[in-house]
Amino acid sequence: MTDSPRRSRTEAGPAVAVHGLTKTFSVPLHPGRGIVAVKDLNLRIEPGEVYGLLGPNGSGKSTTLKIILGLVSPTRGRTEIFGRDSRLVESREAVGFLPENPYFYKYLTGEETLRFFGRLCGLRGARLKERIDELLELVGLTKARKRRLGVYSKGMLQRIGLAQALIHDPRLVVLDEPTAGVDPAGSREIRDLILDLKRRGITVLLSSHLLAQAQEICDRVGILADGVLVREGHLQELIAIENQTELVIADASAQLVNEIESVISRSNAKLIERRKSTTTLERLFLEATAKNDEGRTNQT
Amino acid sequence: MTNIENASTVQPFNASTLAKPHRAFSPGRIGAITANTLTELTRLRVFYVLLVFALLLIGSSIFMAQFSFQQEFQILKDVSLGAISIFTSLLAIVATARLLPQDLEDRTVYTILAKPVPRFEYVLGKIAGVLLLLAISTLVMSAAFLLVLFLREQAVIHATLGQMSGAPPEQIADALRAIRSSALNIDIFPGIIIIYLKACLLAALTLFVSTFATTNIFTIVVMAFIYFIGHLQATAREYWLQEHSSGLLTRVFLAIVALLFPDLQAFNLVDDIVAGTAISLALFTKTALLGIFYTTIYTLLAAFVFYGKEL
Repeated sequence: MTDSPRRSRTEAGPAVAVHGLTKTFSVPLHPGRGIVAVKDLNLRIEPGEVYGLLGPNGSGKSTTLKIILGLVSPTRGRTEIFGRDSRLVESREAVGFLPENPYFYKYLTGEETLRFFGRLCGLRGARLKERIDELLELVGLTKARKRRLGVYSKGMLQRIGLAQALIHDPRLVVLDEPTAGVDPAGSREIRDLILDLKRRGITVLLSSHLLAQAQEICDRVGILADGVLVREGHLQELIAIENQTELVIADASAQLVNEIESVISRSNAKLIERRKSTTTLERLFLEATAKNDEGRTNQT
Repeated sequence: MTNIENASTVQPFNASTLAKPHRAFSPGRIGAITANTLTELTRLRVFYVLLVFALLLIGSSIFMAQFSFQQEFQILKDVSLGAISIFTSLLAIVATARLLPQDLEDRTVYTILAKPVPRFEYVLGKIAGVLLLLAISTLVMSAAFLLVLFLREQAVIHATLGQMSGAPPEQIADALRAIRSSALNIDIFPGIIIIYLKACLLAALTLFVSTFATTNIFTIVVMAFIYFIGHLQATAREYWLQEHSSGLLTRVFLAIVALLFPDLQAFNLVDDIVAGTAISLALFTKTALLGIFYTTIYTLLAAFVFYGKEL
């Protein structure tokens, strides 16, 4: 694992800056009317952080991402990527993007897909080939490299999508609902890939409505509702309950736990809940399905 | 499974060496989109169906040898050049109509334009891919047609020599000259080039229509109208200007029609070739320039509309 952030150079300014962004979509046949998708949005995402843009469907997450990527023009305000106006094509040199439910070209193989996107980014020859090999290895698709995307599963498509987003070694990766429609195992793989990007110092901006997953990977989050940013901040600060503390103890005897409780009762503090620690449903699912896979493998 | 545990094997590239400085115009990027478009179109079954059908049509004309050799060669040229013209036009419209709407529907356009690719390069790459496909199709169909024509010419020459074995040499030479002049002649080649340019024009126009269309069907229906109006407008114009008093209103209306719809009949040189009329250099140059002009204009219009399009 490349633990140390590879971007040793200091980044001047934020990775993404959004200033007073408003987007109104016009309604066909009703010239005076419009649908406000995003309203007066301000964001600042620092280099190296994982930022989650959260919100229900139709809250303006995808529109915001598209404006940041220069795919949609804002009605008011402006967006910048590493100090460059998003409307400039060259601002996208530093960006990799994975759209929601990407389809790509079904007639291309995994390898051809990466070669195509690599060539769009100016990569050629041995350097491109080397990069393709590395990324296929990274996303676990080396064996499927010669297969056409038409036969890829949803999870595989998502992983080849992530590989194409990384082909030119971007400093910022934008992921729109990266785990939408992917099964828990595939979802975990994508989560691990995002955490790996973070370890390598790549800024990640993702949109999601899967809150549990966002909680696991995001440093900061912003919550959009009807196009308005209603909450923003460091995740731990946002979800912490200021006057409560959790102790998680392993191998504690009943006597020790009783003593702790009695210490608490003698003080001004109040014990709210005493319960066994639990695993997550996701972990349980993954363990169960992994054992099942092992059994099937042994039978064959 | 992913190989996060092996991620240390992925050597991070230095961004300054991996990503080349951005260039406002890159033939490499356009080439990548062109090659991809060509791959997409050649892997579509519709392309092969059209090609096989055209080849069958050309091949079937061999069996029309019930007539005199002049008639046979005329029918062969008429049917084959007509088939090449119709199939390249059809291919231009059908292949181009799906390119942009399909990319929008599949969201592949987002991944492409989220890379440092200007929108006009995307449009240029797409049209270049179609023009390349049309060039290959025209070449293959023309090669098949010329081969059939050559083989029939040789067969007729062989049969004539057999029948005229005792005839004086001057008479044989005259007969051979007559056969050769009615079979392969140089005017076929400019005719094929014009057919190709007409298909290019239709492809560029289809691309332009598809920039504001939402479905392939809409584009194809609009193009079918344009195709027929384009073929009829010259005749209609002539009729209106000759038979009716050409008032200002008529002239303005005709001018608008002529501006909106290309005169596709101007690209029909097949009748001249079949009749054996020589195509003058002036006529060829004028028609070719018209084709290039229209193709360029429609491509620029497509790029302009796509530039301002909300994706």
